[in-house]
Amino acid sequence: MTIDIKKVLLLGGGPTNIGHENELDAAAFERLMALKKTGAKIIYLDNNAFSVTTEEIQPANVYVQEVNFQNVVNIIDKENPDAIMATTGGLNGMQIAWQLAESGVLASNNISLLGIKPADLRKVMDNQKLRDTLTEINEKVIASKIVADDDEAMDFVREVGFPVIVKPMSSSHDTSRFICNNTDELEDALDVSFKRTYIKRCSIEQSIVGYKEIEMVGIRDASGNKILISGMEDMDPIGIHSGDSIIFAPTQTLINEEYQALRSATFRIMDALNVTGTCHVQFAQSRTDSNYFVTKVSPFFTRNTILAAKATGYPLTYVSSFLELGYNLTEIKLPSKYSKFLAFMEPTMDHVVVKIPLWPFRDITDVDQHLNTLMKSVGSTIGIGRTVEEAIIKSMHSSQFSPRDILPSVSTVDDDDVINQLIHPLASRILILMEALHRGFSIDELSELTQIDRFYFYKLNQLLRAQDFVVNNPMSPQSIEIGHKYGFGDGMLAELWKVNISKIQQMNENYHNHVTYKAIEPSAGEFLESTNIFYSSYELENESHPFTDKSALVIGRGGNQLGPNSAADYYTSQILRALHKSGYKTIIMNTNPNAVSLTPQLSDKQYIEPIQLGNILNIVDIEKPDVVILPGNRHYLSKQLKQFKNLNIIVLPPDQKVATYNQKYATTAVDLFIEGDEVLPVTTISFVGKDQRTDLRFINDYKEPMDNWQTDEAKLIADASTNVDTQEWQGLVQVLYNTTGNSEYEMTGIRPVRITETAFLTKTTGINWVNVLVKKYLGKLDMDDLREDLKPTEHKRSSIMTAHFPFKELQSGRSEGTTKQEVGSSLSFKNFE
Amino acid sequence: MTERYLILEDGSAYAGKAFGSLATTTGEIVANSTMNGYQEIISNQIYHNQIIVFTQSSIGNTGLDQNAYESILPSAKGVIVREYENLATDHFKRISLDRYLKQHKIPGIYDVDTREIRHHLQKRGNMKASIVDVADDHAFDQLHATVLTNQQVAQVATPKPFPNPDEGANVVVVDFGLKSGILRELSHRDCNVTVVPWNFSAAQILDLDPDGIVLSTGPGSPENLPTSVLDMITEVQSQAPLFAIGLGHELFALANGAKISKLTVEHHGSNHPIREIITNEIFFSGQEQGYAVDPKSIDHAQLFITHVDLVNGTVQGLRHRDYPAFSVQFSPDGAPGPKDSVGLFDDFVEIMARRRDSNDDRY
Repeated sequence: MTIDIKKVLLLGGGPTNIGHENELDAAAFERLMALKKTGAKIIYLDNNAFSVTTEEIQPANVYVQEVNFQNVVNIIDKENPDAIMATTGGLNGMQIAWQLAESGVLASNNISLLGIKPADLRKVMDNQKLRDTLTEINEKVIASKIVADDDEAMDFVREVGFPVIVKPMSSSHDTSRFICNNTDELEDALDVSFKRTYIKRCSIEQSIVGYKEIEMVGIRDASGNKILISGMEDMDPIGIHSGDSIIFAPTQTLINEEYQALRSATFRIMDALNVTGTCHVQFAQSRTDSNYFVTKVSPFFTRNTILAAKATGYPLTYVSSFLELGYNLTEIKLPSKYSKFLAFMEPTMDHVVVKIPLWPFRDITDVDQHLNTLMKSVGSTIGIGRTVEEAIIKSMHSSQFSPRDILPSVSTVDDDDVINQLIHPLASRILILMEALHRGFSIDELSELTQIDRFYFYKLNQLLRAQDFVVNNPMSPQSIEIGHKYGFGDGMLAELWKVNISKIQQMNENYHNHVTYKAIEPSAGEFLESTNIFYSSYELENESHPFTDKSALVIGRGGNQLGPNSAADYYTSQILRALHKSGYKTIIMNTNPNAVSLTPQLSDKQYIEPIQLGNILNIVDIEKPDVVILPGNRHYLSKQLKQFKNLNIIVLPPDQKVATYNQKYATTAVDLFIEGDEVLPVTTISFVGKDQRTDLRFINDYKEPMDNWQTDEAKLIADASTNVDTQEWQGLVQVLYNTTGNSEYEMTGIRPVRITETAFLTKTTGINWVNVLVKKYLGKLDMDDLREDLKPTEHKRSSIMTAHFPFKELQSGRSEGTTKQEVGSSLSFKNFE
Repeated sequence: MTERYLILEDGSAYAGKAFGSLATTTGEIVANSTMNGYQEIISNQIYHNQIIVFTQSSIGNTGLDQNAYESILPSAKGVIVREYENLATDHFKRISLDRYLKQHKIPGIYDVDTREIRHHLQKRGNMKASIVDVADDHAFDQLHATVLTNQQVAQVATPKPFPNPDEGANVVVVDFGLKSGILRELSHRDCNVTVVPWNFSAAQILDLDPDGIVLSTGPGSPENLPTSVLDMITEVQSQAPLFAIGLGHELFALANGAKISKLTVEHHGSNHPIREIITNEIFFSGQEQGYAVDPKSIDHAQLFITHVDLVNGTVQGLRHRDYPAFSVQFSPDGAPGPKDSVGLFDDFVEIMARRRDSNDDRY
């Protein structure tokens, strides 16, 4: 039975941070596309400054406020929704839903909670209840106990056996954990731990360090029908946070019996919790027998739910929205491009997806960089191939920090360090594994040291052999063939052999080595689904065909790092919208599984390929796009692409290197839009630096309009407008000023408006500036409309954008960060009296 | 790496690299889209005289596991895959996929575009194929001239009965090319099993005093078997609870007057939702099917349909109106594939127990 809903409150994910990237905004965006079909009125709550979703909803129905309990209660009072969807709010959204249920707000306002019933929600959110529920259905959880003395600890160990982990409770060293394999070690650990705890209690639990970590994503409808979307396997064992682990889809090292046991367990858990919609369950699987434990149950959207959808091509968010509304799997009508059976067929893959995390240690150096149970990565990229090796290499292409298309290496690390890092892994984990193989460590030895399955070393070994062959046989047709087979793109071959890429392209032409694109679709070739998501491989059949209409290729930013990355994803998404509105078929290339810009509804075709010259040229070659748009500050790539005269490349925003500064300090800015020799004032901004700092590197917070706008704004706008040379400056331009507070302003520089601030301007002025820029560079801008819409000196409210930094999450002592260290931003509005 | 070829009856040829045996073989080519359980698939006797194309791009990753053979002497004619890993995981690190295929004279080809082959078969339907050293006219002539045997069951089923003792219900399993998954599930339920040859008569079976009878899976068309098998089924179904699976299900349908047709594209995978009609629930299971019961031919006075495949509409389960006899087209034992419907074995054991408890009179 479907639930009849007239008004639904949808919870957003809030600003991006460690633990959640843009995936929640992407899920909310897709969900919105599904909900629109039901005719329900949608109220949305989110303060993520780079949310694409908020812009797809009537502004009157968007609450730009922090996603918390009190704000939700206030919105309920005002809006009286009949349902709440919290699953796109991630864990925070579920916690709010729980509070709403426990406090009686849902019941007294007669609001249905979609996805999971309040009584079942408690079973998930309350750890003890979850343990009880799982135990009831005979699913094992790790035994743990709080003990007050050695005897209690010994009793516990007699019950569960070694190894165990001992932790002091409420200690000052809150990360210390002791793994004990025998009575001696346990006694020592208890001795130290009882000294460290202030409350004379230690926790002791069964240790599963070294177990395989397996993740399952399933969906369930209200009648109890279930589908497993995908199983995924963490290469790294339990002990390294899943968010910091290299993940493979499908699972690689489980035998059928083990896989089916976990699939069945996932289904039993969804049944026990009465989930309608999606559920992500994590397991620890023994390496030596069929034993496993349930480690985490998340009946809401997580990064890996989205990864499961990306890996299989299954329209998970869309289907899940209807499931939450009470539809049965067989009742869901998918968009016409899918076969009518797709919604209720269990996805099966004929490719391999590898996800590699990206860590922020380049930008935040003063933190413990070891990978452990605390998640530290801020983003990830995926590589997709027909073979495991191809997928690994592609994900490595995409995860390197260097813009050059090289395989990074750690060959300078000494032997002791290699061993040390094998046991205590750092971010360069996979490189160290390869280096160790290179230095002759045996596979059994490595598997023993790292608790990583031998299978992965076999694959890395193959890659090393291929790499050696390619390096030692430059410019040979066989090297190119092997290189292609193992995922070394033409760009990487060119770098390895230090030749121009055109030489390799010429050889490809001579030897008929043509790239083929394979569709990512959930039936493994049984149906000719037109999901329009592709990855490359060098094989027989090419499935991607160019559009007959005019088309545009947008080159996505890749995995999130610190800095303006979630803003860049927002910007990229808006470019796709703008191009679509201008009548182009849109093609996006990206590798970030969490990107909004990769949601299927935002473009006509998606390529999940390394953002590297060779891969771009291959796509250009097949698509022949009328225009290529490169969002973001990527000097190296834009320089490389500009060598190719036949490409019509637009870099947005224009290169930041053209910025001119008298000094790198500012307090205030005037934003202008320049078309030809016409200068249109947009608005004014005050920079909010902590401790009154005006150093531009530390300016992350913005306020619109500027302070004292009533008295100073008109004068400053006039000054900026006359001081900017329209011969040199076009598009969105920011004129910087410094003031000491007495209405005296000194101009300190001019620069193109940056990505983060373009998003901010769009949110504050109600004009989509990305759309305006795209139109300007396509020659389709209607200046009359723009003039009419722009009201630079009218201000009804103050808008503030505040940057967030991941210092607390990384246990760094810092409190203020640079623009390169921000992880996300929140937005707030305050109406003027 | 030796280069070898997969050639198809329609004239297509695919170059790839050899692994496993270097034998030249001919069989029907089928694509299997189940992602796990390559070992169970290759060792399933249902693939007798068939060349298996794996859509899953990588196999061999977990070596071979003593507990996962569906038969000890596999009879598939070839394995086609995008890539394989030659890893051994047994105690002595001996048995890898390559070695296993060599031992059983099964040739393999890797490094071919299996996704293209899948698309090709989906469009062109079932056909014969060969794995050969050279894709010349001679090879194609040989392929066209090869007539595949229709005595498949006789070649793979046990010629002699054997027991698998336990302390529970007495179950006679009629072997048409039995997959071990069925025995495993009966073992889990303590059944005292006797496996008998496919051509055992009803009297021979009933003399073993079964509490229940299982008609097993097996290769090929049910119509290749003599009508004496159908007579056996009509006789025993009235005497003891009967559970028929795969080929057994097709024979059960034939014995009760239904007709069988060959699918234009064989279906091998575990991605199709199967609906249980009485509950309206959907579930998934391993399906390996080249033939299907024609729903229009079913005599509704005798049989009714219990399960259907929601994608291709095929009959997936039948039940007899008068006797405790039921059958499924799919493999509920989950070897490989989902175990969503493994409860059918519990149902069977329960029917046997109920019948034993109520009285000992025959029907």
